[in-house]
Amino acid sequence: MKFVLILTVFLLCVGIGVFYSSKFQKRKKFFDALISLADKLSLEINFSRERLKVLIESFDENHKKNLLKVCERYLDFLDKKSELTKEFLFEEAKVLRNDEKDLVFMFFKALGRRDVENQTKELQGFVSRFSEVKTKCDAEQKKYGALSIKLGVVAGLFWAVIMF
Amino acid sequence: MLEKILPDKLSEILNNKINLKAVNEIRLRTDKPVLVSVGGKNFFVCENGLTSNIAQAIFANKLMIEDVIFRASECSIYSVNEQIKRGYIVTDEAVRIGIGGDLIEEDGKVKTISNFCCCNLRIPHTVKNCSLSAFSHIVNGSFVRSALIVSPPGCGKTTFLRDFVFQLSQRDISLNVLLLDERGELDFGINSLYTDKLSFFDKQKGFESGIRALSPDVIVTDEIGQEKDISALEYACGCGVKILASAHCDTLENFLKKPLFERLQKNKIFSRYVFLSKRNGPGTFEGVYDENLSRIYKAF
Repeated sequence: MKFVLILTVFLLCVGIGVFYSSKFQKRKKFFDALISLADKLSLEINFSRERLKVLIESFDENHKKNLLKVCERYLDFLDKKSELTKEFLFEEAKVLRNDEKDLVFMFFKALGRRDVENQTKELQGFVSRFSEVKTKCDAEQKKYGALSIKLGVVAGLFWAVIMF
Repeated sequence: MLEKILPDKLSEILNNKINLKAVNEIRLRTDKPVLVSVGGKNFFVCENGLTSNIAQAIFANKLMIEDVIFRASECSIYSVNEQIKRGYIVTDEAVRIGIGGDLIEEDGKVKTISNFCCCNLRIPHTVKNCSLSAFSHIVNGSFVRSALIVSPPGCGKTTFLRDFVFQLSQRDISLNVLLLDERGELDFGINSLYTDKLSFFDKQKGFESGIRALSPDVIVTDEIGQEKDISALEYACGCGVKILASAHCDTLENFLKKPLFERLQKNKIFSRYVFLSKRNGPGTFEGVYDENLSRIYKAF
């Protein structure tokens, strides 16, 4: 019974470490997917001038998952089912920081509001800003992501030794 | 029809408190009251429907206008920029939204309109049999004469043309009709077996490729008024195709003063001229004139 309890506490600590680490991973994947979306929009708007809704609906499903329902919520706004607010857009994207949310919100707010040339320029501007954020996320993920797991393991071992 | 475009509050009032079938136009101007034209008369929109009292009126703002244009473009302004350059957007349901704002030019070419400050939503209507008064003067058995429908803006020229095509199909006159729909608003509610359509073509290209590719018997087109339009009409006429078109002008006297229309008349492009007005509401039939502009029918 004692060993089961120790194992449970150990796994719990490691789990908390992994959970914190996954936050960094999610942010990195989020901006990765967002860059892909902005690139796709930039290309398609230049090439086919297809409507925004069609372009977002046809965006790769795996990337969409990494965007933490932001795409689905933006599509709701396009369908006039809701207003475009930060609270609504990022309801399931809690891993983002406030300044990141501001940037992403600006991106979605600017979509579809310009002619091809200006929209493309604007999208390219966002791609470079997202790339900067992604580089930061990458560094943080390497630094703190691994650290969280390590801290989880250390804390687990600490409690295991104490309980033993 | 308008709920996709207009702000929720305005759309709710228009749908629940105003008879939309009677509305011809909705005008939004920055910081001015929302204006609705019903049967040729203007009213303000208020919480309870329509009013003449400005104190009760709902005011439009810049954000509202930008949002209407954004929604009308299906949230993709870039996809309708060619239309915006010409000053309007036409939705799938043939609502024409005239746009006012700042013209952006580069190297003498129009790039776009930005900083939208006003818009005018023209709501299409199907007025069944509105072309019947003039129909017998244009169609004789299965023979169709070329005709020009003349009136000031908002008097029902496009509605007339739509109904005319509908009437042709109702009578089983199996003439191939080509709708040359430069702005995408002509083909609304027309369900004809003998109709082809070219959308968003300018007149010159439309007439040329339409005649070559679709060999129509009759071409129906809206709003002629430029030199190149007249050249396109002359080309079509030379090909033996009958034309039904519309043009802006208020009276016969003013019509004759315009050099372009004088050219039309001189070259006998049209055999019939039908004049409409707003005298008893949009679509009031004024009279029909022959190719020499002699009156052959007077309504009043």
